[in-house]
Amino acid sequence: MSKHYDIVVVGAGNAGLSAALHCAKEGKKVLLIEQHNLPGGCATSFVRGRFEFEPSLHELCDIGTAEDPAEIRQMMEEYGVHVDWKEVPDCFRIISKYSDGTPMDVTMPSGKEPFLAKMEEYVPGTSKKMREYFELLEETMAGTAYISNSNGHADSNVLKEKYPNLLRTGAYPVKKVWDAMKLPQKCQDIMSTYWGYLGIDMERMAFIHYCNMFMKYVTRAAYIPAHTSHEISNKMVERFRELGGDVWYNCRAEEFLFNGDRLCGVKTSMGTIECDYVLANINPDIIYAKMMPKDLIPEREKKLSAARNHNYSARMYTVYVGLNKTAEELGIKYYCIFMADTADSTKEYKNILGGYETNNFTIFLCNNITNPEASPEGTSIGFFTSMGNPDEWGNLAQEDYVAYKNKYAKKFIRELKDRAGIDIEPYIEEICVASPWTFARYLGTPEGSVYGYETAEWDGMMARMMMLSSDYPIKGLRPIGAAGPRGDGYSSAYVCGRLMARLALKDLREEGGQQ
Amino acid sequence: MAVKVKVGLIGALDMLKFKNMSKVREAAIQAAPAKEITADYAVNNNAKALHPDFQKVVVTEIIDHPGADAKTLVLRAADGGKLAYFRAGEYLSLKLKIGQSYVSRPYSISSSPKEALAGKYEVTVRTNPGGFAADYLLNEVKVGDEFLCSAPQGNFYYEELRDPEHIVALAGGSGITPFLSMAKAIADGTEDFKLTILFGSRTEEQILFKEELDALAENDKINVVHVLSDEEKEGYEHGFITADLVKKYASEDYSVFICGPEAMYRFLEGELPKLGLPRKNIRRELLGVTKKIAAHPDFPQECVGATVQITVRQGEVECVIPASCEEPILVAVERAGIIAPSRCRSGECGWCRSKVISGTFFAPPEHEGRRYSDKETGYIHPCATFPTSDLILEVPGEYHG
Repeated sequence: MSKHYDIVVVGAGNAGLSAALHCAKEGKKVLLIEQHNLPGGCATSFVRGRFEFEPSLHELCDIGTAEDPAEIRQMMEEYGVHVDWKEVPDCFRIISKYSDGTPMDVTMPSGKEPFLAKMEEYVPGTSKKMREYFELLEETMAGTAYISNSNGHADSNVLKEKYPNLLRTGAYPVKKVWDAMKLPQKCQDIMSTYWGYLGIDMERMAFIHYCNMFMKYVTRAAYIPAHTSHEISNKMVERFRELGGDVWYNCRAEEFLFNGDRLCGVKTSMGTIECDYVLANINPDIIYAKMMPKDLIPEREKKLSAARNHNYSARMYTVYVGLNKTAEELGIKYYCIFMADTADSTKEYKNILGGYETNNFTIFLCNNITNPEASPEGTSIGFFTSMGNPDEWGNLAQEDYVAYKNKYAKKFIRELKDRAGIDIEPYIEEICVASPWTFARYLGTPEGSVYGYETAEWDGMMARMMMLSSDYPIKGLRPIGAAGPRGDGYSSAYVCGRLMARLALKDLREEGGQQ
Repeated sequence: MAVKVKVGLIGALDMLKFKNMSKVREAAIQAAPAKEITADYAVNNNAKALHPDFQKVVVTEIIDHPGADAKTLVLRAADGGKLAYFRAGEYLSLKLKIGQSYVSRPYSISSSPKEALAGKYEVTVRTNPGGFAADYLLNEVKVGDEFLCSAPQGNFYYEELRDPEHIVALAGGSGITPFLSMAKAIADGTEDFKLTILFGSRTEEQILFKEELDALAENDKINVVHVLSDEEKEGYEHGFITADLVKKYASEDYSVFICGPEAMYRFLEGELPKLGLPRKNIRRELLGVTKKIAAHPDFPQECVGATVQITVRQGEVECVIPASCEEPILVAVERAGIIAPSRCRSGECGWCRSKVISGTFFAPPEHEGRRYSDKETGYIHPCATFPTSDLILEVPGEYHG
């Protein structure tokens, strides 16, 4: 062993980046290692011809304006990371069917009042109910923020006094709360649109979790970086370097080393590193199964893994297109178009998991609508997102892979033409298709999932947050990322990285105090 | 607030339910068996098989092409198993240890994708005056030698989602190899498109793979037109591959795919605009940068003939190496015996992405494949970047077994 680091962060995904920055900012000697040759995990970019593609980010909901920054913009600015954020003009357009089977083609603006006004237009006579609902959302959001900031020690008296509705609704799934409030089904259908962003249907998704995301999108608008999410990741790394951090790319962590039951180092493809603490941006199943001594894994951790039973959330399927016509020429007016067979998320989730025959769910984004400079003059750039199931991609032979992924791409390109009247096919200059194989290749996540474990039922975000001190009790090692307490998505991962970094620093302080 | 929301029948129980979330979760955890944790996933195994970090291959046969001054290396998986599948047109980055240097060279695979499943690739190496790795592969490598190569790489393949059904291939010299693979893939049913190959050689005798190509041209979907520059002969086109020649063999809707030596690209620069094709219908495989960077109009003239020092950092290792301003930074790094990542060697794939901590460099715009944010923050692709001052450079590791 040679050089000694206070903290090694394994994996420069979103959580790894915020964790590394946080620790470096607190004056620790930090090494960030990443198995790929660039940072970000999903938050990256790739170049084909004259296009630089955004691989994953649809929109970030926690940015806010420069004058009134929301959590993520604030966090980035505190870390000294200055991203060129572009505001997404609308919430979404959805082309689908209402739960009752009637056609649905709805475009929702962002901002609370415009959103409510538009809802009244689509579902007349509902504004009183919707206003009540927004009151509940506001209380829930405030209550969640309180709990998040209490590091697992929320005062139940404060909760009872200030956030009683949060307590009353918090343990239920979205659908139950909506039904209890007697929200008209059409309103429910429209507001279900974002379900895919959390990868769980409304009957199983925790109300608190959805409510937070929904409110942020609607009231604070959404943002994307001007130069793909690689801009965020790269700027985070550059700032981390300025703060004295070291970065090793193309470096894979192979094994965590222990002195007794306490972590003391990491064996990597570029040598062994001695350190006091590791924050691992790796799924816990992989850490336990492949990267540490079996006899150090507590029985409860085995039970936790078994209870989760490899039930990972969304595995992404994406088609990236660089087009040799402008968005205007192609008749693309909205940044984000959701296309589905039904607004009933439970049915649609089943359709998706049914594989090619039943999966007609796709979201088409055109980056130029939000950022005219997303691609060279005279062109446009966008991508389709859908989800896949692990069996259809697990049982596929190498030689059938391209044909299979292209079959989906053809279907979604056709869907955009048939449902939205946008024909991109003759104008495709560059095209790339990413499947769960691609995400497994670059991220190394189980089954190429990007969201960690399903945040459903007993294992929701709030329950995980409440049990922060019980899960993963390995001394000197904490897993971070999408499988963590905050669940999935860019914002959640950034926040999770910071939270876990704080806990790690606290652990180190307490251990130091004991010596 | 005015609203009081109740979900359950009795509101107080909801509060309890909320507080009990951790108890419910704990109960779910405790109810599960304490079995050994596994992490073996079919999707990940598939991804790994298609895109391994590297592959170990053994040379099982060397086929001489005497007229063309070239040899084909037949490579098999060293463990006797499968090799990663690929799309016809992709290349391998061969990792070679020549003297004290670790160098990589990209070679298009000339065999059919189907053969990879049976554990075989073929690559063809042509004499290249002063070619360090080509000389080694042609003169030193023998049957039984083992080396590492990358997974198949690149974007130079037929894509049904993008391309018209007719591809007119413009090939020169060993640039025929990706098209040979495509033709084989069409013939064995792996690919389905119409391929017309305009293949430039000096003389009939120097035509690489003539017999194979002529046999493949029996297929209705494959047409091979030999274009001889130094010889006029019946049954052959004469001269260079020009726009007029392309038009003669093209159909109404087609794309041009180009692979050949530097001189051919330069000549085609004047010809291609005459075809009036949109950009999406012209694709090039580069696999290398110009050897005459000093002649580049934007290259700083004070750097012609100059040498500099590069401080290379890789993980905990640091060393100082000499470099010429007229060679890509990667070449200097490799010559010093550093195992650095690289694949395409033309600035495109970005696998060698490295950080310039200090110093200046020249990145020719025709090889610009960097991300926007990378350009702003001093990242370069050393395979297609030339040093113009002393540099401090941070290079990533490379997986090499």
